[in-house]
This record gives sequence, structure tokens and C-alpha cells, in this order.
Amino acid sequence: MDTLVNVAHGFGVALQPINLIYCFIGVFIGTLVGVLPGIGPISAMSLLLPITLSGTPESGIIMMAGIYYGSMYGGSTTSILVNIPGEAASVVTCIDGHQMAKKGRAGPALGIAAFGSFFAGTFALIALMLVAPKLASVAIAFGPAEYFSLMVLGLVVLTFLTQGSMAKALLMACIGVVLGVVGLDSITAQPRLTFGRVELIDGIGLVPVVMGLFGVAEVLLNTEQVIKRDIINTKITHLLPSREDWKVSTGPMSRGTILGFFLGILPGGGAVISSFASYALEKRLSKTPDRFGHGAIEGVAGPEAANNAAAGGAFIPLMTLGIPPNVVMALLLGAFIIHGLQPGPLMITQNPGLFWGIVASMYIGNLMLLVLNLPMIGMWVQLLKLPYNVLFPLIILFTIIGVYCSSNNVFDVHVMIAFGVIGYFMRKLGYEPAPLVLAFVLGPMLENNLRKSLILSQGDLMTFVERPISAVCLTFALVLLVAPLLPALRKKREMVALDEEV
Amino acid sequence: MSDQSNVKFRLNNSELWGGLIGLALGGYVIWSGLKLKLGTINDPGAGFVLFYTGILMCLFATSIIIAALTEGGPTFGSRWVNTRWTKPLLVIVCLVAFSFALNPLGFLLSSIPLMLLLLRVVDPVSWSLAVPIAVLVPLGMWWILKRLLLIQLPSGIFEIG
Repeated sequence: MDTLVNVAHGFGVALQPINLIYCFIGVFIGTLVGVLPGIGPISAMSLLLPITLSGTPESGIIMMAGIYYGSMYGGSTTSILVNIPGEAASVVTCIDGHQMAKKGRAGPALGIAAFGSFFAGTFALIALMLVAPKLASVAIAFGPAEYFSLMVLGLVVLTFLTQGSMAKALLMACIGVVLGVVGLDSITAQPRLTFGRVELIDGIGLVPVVMGLFGVAEVLLNTEQVIKRDIINTKITHLLPSREDWKVSTGPMSRGTILGFFLGILPGGGAVISSFASYALEKRLSKTPDRFGHGAIEGVAGPEAANNAAAGGAFIPLMTLGIPPNVVMALLLGAFIIHGLQPGPLMITQNPGLFWGIVASMYIGNLMLLVLNLPMIGMWVQLLKLPYNVLFPLIILFTIIGVYCSSNNVFDVHVMIAFGVIGYFMRKLGYEPAPLVLAFVLGPMLENNLRKSLILSQGDLMTFVERPISAVCLTFALVLLVAPLLPALRKKREMVALDEEV
Repeated sequence: MSDQSNVKFRLNNSELWGGLIGLALGGYVIWSGLKLKLGTINDPGAGFVLFYTGILMCLFATSIIIAALTEGGPTFGSRWVNTRWTKPLLVIVCLVAFSFALNPLGFLLSSIPLMLLLLRVVDPVSWSLAVPIAVLVPLGMWWILKRLLLIQLPSGIFEIG
């Protein structure tokens, strides 16, 4: 009963005209960045982070969330029609989606992707409504030791799943922690690593770091290559899948939804892994696995449902524990912090309007996306024709304006350009920025919780192993750290390791 | 003969230099942590986390260096093979120049040339398209920010904008 009252309250917040507008802007931009190759949800969210400052926290977070799950929808369009994934989670959709389009079945492929995404998104939201309050009530009992260990686990899982060398990913995470603690020490008020610059007393801003590492660096990488697009030019018809298509796709969609939702909750997991896992599962369960790769609709339905369910599931650790499971959620956490809010177990009880408003807006956003992605598909196809040499100067200009507006300080523009150049060289040398950004956001919290737990336990390190939740998290983190040393596990890691930023 | 014995030491091994930079950074972080005071285990000081993070950085960087020395690794040049490496370099030069020009020249006088350069230098867009985009987009953004959102962008020494 309580849940229903809360949901009604949430819809009251989400249906306010201003929040509806922000939700629409979010899902529209999300679809746009999903459709356009070369700019992913992380870049778009970092670009728009400063805009959230102008409205209420609800509006800002609603818009940011919309960009994330909107990009999951939009990404499939580019994968199916151009064979270029608009964002990383849609890589798998290229395999069968584009083959379907080549055979003249672009309509059913786009249709099943949109419907699958809608059903999965809806399921994830219902699960979020049911699970989040329960988990939050358990999380109230968490102390600093549990939080510290959970954050360590989150960082280790992300480094484990990052493409390439784990040592490099761990080095990046350490650099992220160091960058995160720049500024005044919260306990002793001593300036740390400020080099005498007044601008660094409050620390390095999240916006210039993320915009540099993802926005500017991405542009620099893209200018190296000539982006060729092989757009399917035939008229897109039969967007509503046939009865046969539905029959074949229902199972993969359901399995993808459940798998994606649980993988989304796990720290370090997310939409990318779940889409790959769903594809592998469907291929294994299929009686005709040889159809996969040649236009099997199951290869579109399963992964698309999985990545959208994962996008919904990823909100659970953020909303209930205040711990972002991936970089996108770290950006959302940044948006919360910018507004002076701390997501976590108390947010649901202390700020129910915000929590339930965001959840309800996601449901409304899902409906908007269905309309945006099916009847308006022609508009997105036209957008695919926008050349990158016109698009990238605009992206650069928007990043500059976005960073400047976030602080009214030219210093942050310098920081962004510096991180853009650093990010470009990092990527070229095989150092992924995702662990750095997650650690940058978690760094101050990690340090606070470590120091608090040591003070509370009077320096007894056993506090981390005597508390069951903390012990489980640290054990799991240790296993993942040791795993790459074992050849069999190393091979497995290489199979699941993914580049978050395609 | 094992594969490892065939690995030649190369000074332009990018993995090696990446590890060495990491090691240097780690060393600096350790030194900063020590300078800030570590405190004690039951009352950690401002440098406590920095110090231990620095140690971890050195450990990971050392493992990267060892891997580079024993397994070899790609050279710097190979990282840019078959890419148009001059293009990102040009964008970086434009951005650095812009960052120095932004304060003295102001937003409009620095962003219009930046846009024009980016539109013409990397993958040249025709002048008839580049000029209107380079002029109208910054002007439009400036107008929206200044007039509608009341955000003041830098106007520079000429106070334009």
C-alpha cells in the first residue's frame, strides 16, 4: 500500500509540466546521442551536467537519467541501419540487426528493439520500485567499514571488466582517487596537491574532468579516422513486428530483461556486459544457432531488452547505497552532489518526492521513447546523414560553454582541455578513463569512510573482516584481483572485458 | 627457444614509458602524502590515503614496466599507424591557442576563429557553410546565455560580448 501511495506521489512530481519538459529533453537528447556515432551517453551527460544547475534537483536528475536510458533506445537505430553502434551497449545489435536490415527487415528489427527496450525498461522500473526501499532499509545499518569495502569492490569489478591490462586499469583507479582528494582535507582542512592555486582549494571539478576525458578526448580520437557510413536507404516499413516475430522474440526478451536487470545491479556491471551476455545466452539456447549473425530477430530482441533492463537496474545501488556501479551512475551522483543531495538509504525516506519522482519520470520517459523511436524513425535516419566534420566543432564549442557555465571560471576550461589531451593519449596507450572517473567520484567518500572506520575501531584493521558484509565484499574484490594471474580466469576476463566507450 | 627470450628491449616501447610515468606519479604522490603527515593508524592524517595510494600506484606501474620488459610492447609509432595523426594534433593546437586567447580576447573573438579553424582544417567544410556556422553558432550561444540565461561569458580586453 505504501508503495502505491509513493508511486502516486512520484507521478505527481513527474507529471509537473517543467519535469515533463526536462524528461522529454533528456530522452530526446539521449536518443540523439544514441543515434549519432562518435558521441555516447557519458559524453552527452557530461556535456549537459552544468545545465542541471539551472533547475530544481528533480528536473536535473530526471533529464540526466533520460539521456542514459534514451541513449540505450537510440543506439539500436544506428546499429541496425548503419552497422555502427551509436553507443557501446548496442555493439551486439549490429550483428543481427544490420543483417535483418540488409534483407529488407529493418522495420521489424527497429520495432522489436523499441518494444523490447520498452518492456525491459518497464520491468526494471517496477523492480526498482519494489527492491530499492527494501534494500535502503537494510543499508541504513551499514557503517563506514561496509561502505569502504563496497566502494573498493565496485572499483575492482570495474577494473576487472575494463578492456586490456588490469594493472593499467588499477593504476587509473589510483590516479582517480588521488585527483578526487585534491583540495582541502575534510578533517584537518589542510590543502592537498593544490600547487598554491586558489582554484584548486575546492578540488578539481567533476565537469571539466569528465568533459575532457570523454567529450574532448572522444573528438580527438574520432578526427583520426574517416567515419564511413553505409546507411540502409530502403524505405522502412512494418515497424510493428509480425505475430511470428513476437513468438520468436518473447522468450529472448524475457530472459534478456531478467539477466540485464541483475547484471545492472552489480557494481562494475552494466548495459554493455548484459547485452553481450544475453546474446551469448540466446545463441546457446537456440535450436538453430547458425541463424545468429545472419539476421536472427532473437539476436536483437534479447540484447536490446538486456541493456535497457540493466540501465534501470544500475539505479538501485546508486539510490539505495549512494554507490554508483558504473561511470554513468557516477555522473548522476555528481549531479546529485552538485545539488547538495547525497543519494543513499536515507534519501528515500528523507526526500521521497525526489526518489519516486525520478522513478515515475523514467516510466513516462519510456513511453515517450516508444513514440520517439517508432513513428519518428524517419527523422533519426535523416540525422544519421549529418557529417562528423560539421558535428565535432559544435561538440567542442558546447563542451567549452558547458564547462565555463558550470563554474564561471576560465580555469576550468583549461582543466578540461588538459584532461582532453591527457585522455586522448591515455586511450592511445591503452589506459581506459572509466576507472579513473569512477574513482575520482568515489575517492573522497572512500577516504572519509576509511578514516572514519579506522578512528571508530581505534586503528583495528580487523573491523573490515569482522563485519560480514565488508568481509564478503573484500573477499570478492581480492578474488577478482588475483583472478587475472590464473590463465583460465584470465581468458574468461578477456572475453567479458569491454570497452565502455565505443 | 621460448618466446620470452626473443623479446628485444626497445627504448620506444610505449608500455615501458607508460609504466615509468605511472611510477614517477606514484613516487610524487607518496612524497606528497609524507609531506602532509600520515598520522597514526587510529587517527589517520591528511596524507594517509595519498601515501598508500601512491604505494599502490608504484606497485601497478612496476608490474606494467616488468610486463613491458619481459613481454615487449607496441612502439609509440605503431599506436598511430594508419591514422590521420596530424588531425588530432591540429585540434589540440587550436584548443590550446583558444584557451590562452579566451580571457584576453573574450568568448566571441576567440570562439569564432576556433570554429572556423576546426571546420576548415580537419576535414574541410566548404567556406559557404563554414563561415555561417562559425559565426552564427557562437553568436547564437552567446545571445542565449547572456540574454536568456543571464550568464556572462568572458568579454576580454575589448569588452566585446
